[in-house]
Amino acid sequence: MGFAAILDILGSVAIGGSILLILMTLNDSMVENHFLNSNEAIVQSNLISVVELLESDLRKIGYCEDWQNLPDPTLAILEAKQNKISFLTDVAVSASDPTGDGTVDTLTYWVGSPYDNEVTSTPNPRDRILYRQVNNETALSANLGLTQFDLKFFDALGDEITSMPTSPPLGIITLQIDITVENTSAYGDLAEGDVYGKDKSAFWRQIRLVAPSLGNR
Amino acid sequence: MGGKAILLLVIAFSTMYTVVNFNSNNSATIAIENVASYYSNTSVHNIATSAINMAANELFNNKNWTGYSNDTIYLQGGYAVLQVNKISSDMIQLTARGYSEYFYNGEETTKDAMVQVLLKASKFSKFAYYSQVEGNIWWTNKDTVWGPLHTQDYLRAYRHPVFHGKVSMKKDVKYYTSKSKDKPIFNGGYETGVDLPRPTTVLSDLYTEANSGGHIFDGESNVYLTFKNDSISYKFSTYGTETTVLASDFAPNGVIYAKDANLRLKGTVKGAYTLVSEKRVYLDDDIVYETDPRIDPTSDDILGIIANNEIYITDNTPNRNDISIHGSLYSINDGFGAENYATRPPSGTIDLLGGIIQYQREAVGTFSYYGISSGFSKKYRYDDRFMKIAPPAYPGTGIFEILSWYE
Repeated sequence: MGFAAILDILGSVAIGGSILLILMTLNDSMVENHFLNSNEAIVQSNLISVVELLESDLRKIGYCEDWQNLPDPTLAILEAKQNKISFLTDVAVSASDPTGDGTVDTLTYWVGSPYDNEVTSTPNPRDRILYRQVNNETALSANLGLTQFDLKFFDALGDEITSMPTSPPLGIITLQIDITVENTSAYGDLAEGDVYGKDKSAFWRQIRLVAPSLGNR
Repeated sequence: MGGKAILLLVIAFSTMYTVVNFNSNNSATIAIENVASYYSNTSVHNIATSAINMAANELFNNKNWTGYSNDTIYLQGGYAVLQVNKISSDMIQLTARGYSEYFYNGEETTKDAMVQVLLKASKFSKFAYYSQVEGNIWWTNKDTVWGPLHTQDYLRAYRHPVFHGKVSMKKDVKYYTSKSKDKPIFNGGYETGVDLPRPTTVLSDLYTEANSGGHIFDGESNVYLTFKNDSISYKFSTYGTETTVLASDFAPNGVIYAKDANLRLKGTVKGAYTLVSEKRVYLDDDIVYETDPRIDPTSDDILGIIANNEIYITDNTPNRNDISIHGSLYSINDGFGAENYATRPPSGTIDLLGGIIQYQREAVGTFSYYGISSGFSKKYRYDDRFMKIAPPAYPGTGIFEILSWYE
């Protein structure tokens, strides 16, 4: 084997290695992009699920199929806090009968803390559980990567209610809802620090959600 | 050999990249379609809501409206099918189903949404307070009103009065100093530009009702009515002979009408009655329900008192020490007040359970720094049942109100 052959082998190894390195980097990049794109779709899907559920329920504040059971909708909101709302409505009993059964129900939404046991073991340190409870039934919960759930309440003159009455009527006419959803698990190594830096979060704000029944009468 | 291997490696990675890229693109497409789906849901909901608003507006303009000639309304790239269902003589249900087509996963999909609204002809008795003219009277921080309120005038506010029911007015809110210092607290919402005039046919409509199943007093200048639970006693002068009858036989439909006469009232009411005077109504003593709805909410005792002129608390001995009034008071051309309010002695408190509908406010007493100088102090409480029921043949507002709104 002559010097030229050795040179050929070394050259091939160098060029092949470079190409291999490029391909490995490309592969890593592809996997990351794929993960991020998929998660973006999941985040958006989760956000839309949360929003559609909330919009559907909150628009029915003060509604009851049998109006005589809830004649004064101004009393419909029972409790209103930054991350919790409890109100009277008529929850649908089946998909075939969406307008409810004429019985007044109490529906409560709230979010847990990122330090709750249910979410401390998840990769995302900021996610929280969203709870939905009808009357005194067991609360249904889902971890959809919710990291922000803020409610603001406005009175009839459009001013934010900063000092909430302790009992109904609370004077709420419109609501503002801010929601942020992130991936429940991110791409990367937790040891590297903020692995969520590359991930997409989705933010949604309903500036003035009006429950039509609230201002009826 | 090495070159071939590298070539194969490049081909393999290219294939992998193509597959992964295809999946990535799919993810991006799904994300966009999610948003499109949400937009489509929102859009179809807006179509149904718009159709309902259009129909409700037609009904507010014409209470006999029965629907458009074509029940399909095309809006915002979709359409809504509208149903107008007359449930009873005074109740209408509007249903709008919105439809919209959009493309999901390459296929055309139809989204739909329903909005359903129940409307009822509104009665004046639902108001805790109604006035045509407010005069120079200011609602102050000492005023708390429960139940709906309407004025055809400005609502004058001084230092944050509290209104727990919905407030509507034809004009606007006037602040004594500024919005920040005087802003009223409208816990039930408020609406301006609402024109709700008093109907001009109140007396003739009530006369017709009294004439068909009620009772009409004619040819007397004063009618003294005393409710004694199941019975009613009446006479035509202070010392006249009193006649007692079974109330349900006397006025089966509950409407008692005093033509060209003052009505002088007192007693304990059992059942549902509307008492009408073409002149004044004088409250000679307490007039209360047999079953107080504050104690027993199932009480079906309900009273409407309607006068063409003032409804006065009589200046007499029984009214020297408080008066209790249960019912919805309607003074067509004047207001509710105390007779000789400025010269009568301090007489305690007016305990009113019901509502006041009047042309303008009347005084019930005078006050000084030390308290009541003459007449009464006020303790008014809205009867929540007026949100659901009304005294017999009580005047209607001529428009519909929304009872429930499903969307």
